[in-house]
Amino acid sequence: MSILLRAGARVVIFGITGRFGTFSIRDLRASGTEVVAGVVPGRGGTEVEGVPIFGSAEQAVCDTGADCALIYVPAPLALDAVLEAIDADCQLVAYPGDGLPVADAMEMRAAARARGAWLVGPNSPGLISPGKAKLGFMPSFCFRPGPVGLISRSGSLSYEASYRLSCAGVGQSTVIGIGGDPVKGVTAAEAVTMFHEDPETAAIVYLGEIGGTDEYAVADYARRLDAKPVTALLVGRTAPPGKKMGHAAALVGGYADSWAAKVEALAAAGVNVARSLDQLPIAAAESLARAGLAPAA
Amino acid sequence: MLMLEAEGKALLAGSGLPIPAGAHLVSDAAGVAGLSLTFPLAAKAQVRSGGRGKAGGVRRCDGPAEAEAAVAAILGTRFGGELPSGVLLEPWLPIAREMYLSVVVDGRAGGFVALYAPEGGVEIEAGPPPLRYEFGLPRNFRAHEFRRLLETVEADRAVRERVIALTRRLLQVAAAQDCTTVEINPLIRLQDGNLVLGDAKVVRDDAAAFRHLELEAALVSERMREVEDVRRCQDASLMLVWLEGEVGLISGGAGMTMAAMDAIAAAGGAPACFLDTSGNPTPAGFGLAFELLDRNPGVRAILVSMFGGGLHTDRVARTLVGILEARGPGAKPVVLRLQGTGSEAATEILAAAGRVNHASLEEAVAEVVARTRAPEARA
Repeated sequence: MSILLRAGARVVIFGITGRFGTFSIRDLRASGTEVVAGVVPGRGGTEVEGVPIFGSAEQAVCDTGADCALIYVPAPLALDAVLEAIDADCQLVAYPGDGLPVADAMEMRAAARARGAWLVGPNSPGLISPGKAKLGFMPSFCFRPGPVGLISRSGSLSYEASYRLSCAGVGQSTVIGIGGDPVKGVTAAEAVTMFHEDPETAAIVYLGEIGGTDEYAVADYARRLDAKPVTALLVGRTAPPGKKMGHAAALVGGYADSWAAKVEALAAAGVNVARSLDQLPIAAAESLARAGLAPAA
Repeated sequence: MLMLEAEGKALLAGSGLPIPAGAHLVSDAAGVAGLSLTFPLAAKAQVRSGGRGKAGGVRRCDGPAEAEAAVAAILGTRFGGELPSGVLLEPWLPIAREMYLSVVVDGRAGGFVALYAPEGGVEIEAGPPPLRYEFGLPRNFRAHEFRRLLETVEADRAVRERVIALTRRLLQVAAAQDCTTVEINPLIRLQDGNLVLGDAKVVRDDAAAFRHLELEAALVSERMREVEDVRRCQDASLMLVWLEGEVGLISGGAGMTMAAMDAIAAAGGAPACFLDTSGNPTPAGFGLAFELLDRNPGVRAILVSMFGGGLHTDRVARTLVGILEARGPGAKPVVLRLQGTGSEAATEILAAAGRVNHASLEEAVAEVVARTRAPEARA
């Protein structure tokens, strides 16, 4: 199965005529994802790369049956675009942009949940169910289909970590970039629950960092008696306190934000914490073995 | 952006919140003479670093001469490395009790939480964790829910009701002004029963500057206060944080940059910086990165580690060859690792320029740490 994003997803792209939008038409198609519509207010009736453009999400969904939205608009316009996609009944909406006001992230998250839809982002590369579909801009060559559900706060780390896992024969059911901001759509807590319920996911890999509380939610899950095996890698061991490391949420304020506190909490909950990036595929393979699976050739 | 106490209080006072009456902000000791002050008063250092109270940044003054001396002393003292930009003079309050109250954005709540502790003040960290009321969106705040929780920790009914009303007002300011933290510590109960904000720590969301002109202006002046290197990086869409080590790291993406920093430490070295070039992986961006690392005397060797996802590492390789050739002989050693999209071409481009493209992060890290120790690193 995979989580959230399935084969046959029909994608509508907001801001489809921009640089990212046009790139994504080709990139998503190359990954086997159907881009069925674009939304650009006032430009309905035109098309780009063979994709019809609509003036509103409602029209796009009505005419094409789009069910997933990928939103490439600047932060000041993002809240309205995401609300429009949700109101048009898109069940999955990815907003990859960064620099979004946290108040707008709260509104987006609440609006999605009120309609039973899921938001992915902000500040995330999106998600991919390898071999099935992609909603975002992560580089497809890093991924291969398999039994590991991967959750990452960082885009760049998810690419390289997935690439290393793929090379080691550890494929992925879905890789979701939950994003580097404090308030977001799908959280680590929600993602682990989805992977828990997904019959095609046998083990979970979590890529975390300093700051925020997502790691503690992962530890809470791992303590469940019926939890699937969890492997984790945390970055930011060498980050000094009080300095933001790129991501809005990657900041050590108190002890609970620190690398040491999080590693301790995860390890105590039974998570297999990899000591470094090169140890991650080994640790993930161990987890799979515990779930009765061997890495693919 | 963390506001100074005086700025935060001014913002809150503008929405009718109770700050101490009759306060003055001075930026030099001579400025004290012309003010009509009532004594005793508190002279409070205006700094962003915490722990000012314990470091002598809050002084009681019983007369004008004492106030002048206190202002001069505070302005000449660094608190957490930071010189105060001013001194806030406030009436010394007849305190009956000190509590703690804050309204902060919290990822777990998907929005705001209110935190309350019946005993506030400088020792707040030492006490039990404050009461936590999660409600997320500002419009989901319910006085009756908060009251039910408060009843478990706050015995004084009048205080409870005043705290609830105050929280509602703080939340309205936080929502309207895009604040991610409004922390009142201490929240003071005066001898007459009224509550007043003893201190205010207000953090505004930089990302919301597009809808607050005064925040935009404050960010511009904050940027001017940054050290020049950091400011130039911000202008060029690079993220730079200087650290203490000797390995100059040029990387891409916040997560991978931290992963590379950790790998350097695991190999026995220490990173000299967090430097994320993913916002501007161009000749201008890499050129600035090399300029800053070459000039920093603490940097003894440089590691460029990029994993190409959307980024084409062959283009990066061509850019790097141009930069490296322009640096000339005797420059600091550079270790390269370009992997991912276009990396085979990148390896060829680098080889043609007599450079090695390391196949893995770990191998490149081992090499650069060794180079910081080799005698030629000093050449």
